[in-house]
Amino acid sequence: MSELAIRRGAAPALAVRGLDYTYPRASKPALVDVSLEIAPGEFVLLAGRSASGKSTLLKAACGLVPHFHGGEIEGEVRVAELDALEAGPGELAAAVGYLAQDPETQVVSTTVAAEIELPLEMRGDASGDRARAVEEVALALAIPHLLDRAVDTLSGGELQRVALAAALVTRPRLILLDEPTSQLDPVAGDELIWLLRRLNEEWGVAVLLAEHRLERCLAAADRVVAMEGGGIGFDGAPGDFLSWSHGNDPALTTPAARLFSLAGLDPLPVGVRDARQTLRGTGIAPPPHIASRRVPDPRSSDPVLETKNLWVELDRGEEMRDVLRGIDLEVRPGERIALMGRNGAGKSTLLQTAAGLHEPVAGKLSVDSIALLTQNPSDYLVRERVGDELPEDEGVAALRAVGLEHAVDADPRDLSGGERQRLALAIALAGRMEGEQLPAVVALDEPTRGMDRARKDDLVALIRGLAGGSVAFVDSEATKATRPAAVVVATHDVEFASAFAERVVLLGEGVVIADGPMEEILSGGWYFATEVARVLDVPGVVTPEQGAAVLRGELE
Amino acid sequence: MRSPFAYKPKRGPLQDASPGAAVAYLGAIVVVAFLYLNPLVLLAAGAAATLAGVLAGARTAVRAALKMGLSLALLIALVNALVTSRGETVIARLGDWPLFGRVDVTLEAIVAGVSYGLLAAATIVAFAVYSACVDPDRVLRALRPFAGRSALTATLVSRLVPVAAADAGRLRDAAALRGPAAAPVGKAPLARRLLAGSLDRAVDVAATLELRGYSLDAPRARNRRNRSRYDRRFYAVATLILATAIAGKILGADDFQAYPTIAIGLSPATLAVAAVVTLSGLAPFRRALKRRPLQASRGPELRRV
Repeated sequence: MSELAIRRGAAPALAVRGLDYTYPRASKPALVDVSLEIAPGEFVLLAGRSASGKSTLLKAACGLVPHFHGGEIEGEVRVAELDALEAGPGELAAAVGYLAQDPETQVVSTTVAAEIELPLEMRGDASGDRARAVEEVALALAIPHLLDRAVDTLSGGELQRVALAAALVTRPRLILLDEPTSQLDPVAGDELIWLLRRLNEEWGVAVLLAEHRLERCLAAADRVVAMEGGGIGFDGAPGDFLSWSHGNDPALTTPAARLFSLAGLDPLPVGVRDARQTLRGTGIAPPPHIASRRVPDPRSSDPVLETKNLWVELDRGEEMRDVLRGIDLEVRPGERIALMGRNGAGKSTLLQTAAGLHEPVAGKLSVDSIALLTQNPSDYLVRERVGDELPEDEGVAALRAVGLEHAVDADPRDLSGGERQRLALAIALAGRMEGEQLPAVVALDEPTRGMDRARKDDLVALIRGLAGGSVAFVDSEATKATRPAAVVVATHDVEFASAFAERVVLLGEGVVIADGPMEEILSGGWYFATEVARVLDVPGVVTPEQGAAVLRGELE
Repeated sequence: MRSPFAYKPKRGPLQDASPGAAVAYLGAIVVVAFLYLNPLVLLAAGAAATLAGVLAGARTAVRAALKMGLSLALLIALVNALVTSRGETVIARLGDWPLFGRVDVTLEAIVAGVSYGLLAAATIVAFAVYSACVDPDRVLRALRPFAGRSALTATLVSRLVPVAAADAGRLRDAAALRGPAAAPVGKAPLARRLLAGSLDRAVDVAATLELRGYSLDAPRARNRRNRSRYDRRFYAVATLILATAIAGKILGADDFQAYPTIAIGLSPATLAVAAVVTLSGLAPFRRALKRRPLQASRGPELRRV
């Protein structure tokens, strides 16, 4: 087929037929009999639980599988009429762009302009063409001001846009994205999704987007493909997907769909706008306000973590910067707090300062005892046996506290992602517990990155257990601890925060901009608000259960 | 935390010059430092590198390099004073030391040490200026046609270094956050973990390079920024530095002797070499833009009727 015909969209952007793939030394296949076709200009959302084959399918579509990873492959993969099993990733780069989860390893140049220009240079494009393409893609992604910056001075969101620009600069017909918003705050995440939609509409580029937080992108998609155990479980319209997931895999449904389902409304909405239209059509009008839920009296006990006018200065890139600017905060035993805010707002710095990693330059900080789990649990795991990480009785007590006492002889690498996270938490807890008593504060920094909803539900149970003074966890007997810990979790995930938190502290540019009951904070805005709150716009209503009760008229 | 020597994209003659011209210029200063032992010329080489860095806007890199270079120079002078007993001017007799034997500190040994130290300091400053002002992407791009694999390896390494540094920082934080009853993290397990992580990262970066088409045999395009209007200036200054240094060497400008007594030549040739080398530091100078005052337009004169 001619280049012109391909450009005009005569051939599918991606055609996969009967694809089976097994990674080298893997015991079972990652992809099983996958057949899929994506039309030019289509926006397809790839849903599915962790390890269901989403990432592998994306890698097969850009040639990394099998050319880079090796393994056994059968079937057919064609990208814009190019045989992806024959052509390597470099040759496919003209037709397909790929953006992975971690932007740090997706830039290979020193400056932004050089990074975006590299694929064109490798292709041998003339200097003038390169300059124009770089300028156009920078304008399309709203990053012309970044072109002369060094890549190591960019924030995560900026880096993700630069990586996207480098993937788009060759004007590919298809762009593949593997959880591109997992490290972004809600504002940057929403911006990225709508940027993709705009590129999809204006440039006609087909999009295949793998995501766990479906509520963020379902409304932007033309079609949903759900992966199950390496195969395709569902392929159809977003509305039909919600009906399918409701019956087959409820972990994949969106909060708005759960809201409608619990309230007995039909059809299930694919987004906020859709939900509002349906509600208007049915004549159901939620009350303008409901009584706010009672929150525990903050003065009922002494704070276990207290900051007064706390200032912290850190070297960020090229200069010292005040990352925390006069933080006043009191945390009491048993509180479950979500610490939220944009990337760079100071969430991680606040937790790290409380744990003693940074010295405040001014103000007062007092904390009874704190165990902090940072963003990458794997950083805590340096030995090849769980028992070697946590020797002695105190180590075993910490393992019991997270429900991992049965795994003493296991290799940490053989544990599931959730178990590794709990092991890392046990390492942070070890020696900070008095007998079976938890430390006063347990802090988790972005613990849900790359997690599907089932794993998030496990984490919610763990957090509730820690804050309740006992850990009742899946496949483990309950462990009783007499002192409830205050649990502070820095997170971008609004729906996760609504599931575990009773209080939300919102940071902006190093200052506390809101601090109050979860229902109040997460229903009082647009970006830091749950999908249900955005649908109903009733102060104090944030979860599907609350929303359904409101719609049924049970709450006044 | 960003390294003070990291490349900072800026506009200026040294930054705009092609990598070849910048390397020739800064390399010529380093060559002078290696050719000469005379402290005056070495000081001139150090001053030239410092001046070049300051004029190119790399003050942070120059400050850090001076701190590092002068500390090293001090250390070299100290060690040389302790291990060399040559020289006639004994400043202190420190008696017998284990390993060193009898230690007599002489003025000559100190001055010889200072001379070696100045060589090290001048070289460090020149490399710091190179690192902060010369775009590594352009260097690798220039290298690619001649040594594709080396350029690929260099690209991989240059990207992995900051990533590995960030990983090491995270691992250190995680080690500090382990509970007191968790097994302590020794250096060996930490290094092993960092290495394993780096290998994973290397695979990710290599995959990105693959996706950017690094393995393609497509014809390499000409680079629009291969040459700049400043190239001639830097090549000319580099030639001038080298020619002066060689001529000076032939004319005995490197007249320096530390032992048995100090003899520093300050002949006209030495002074001339030092002056030329110092002034070469002005090469990255750029005239400030001057706005021309707008002249009142001379419209047609009104004639009184």
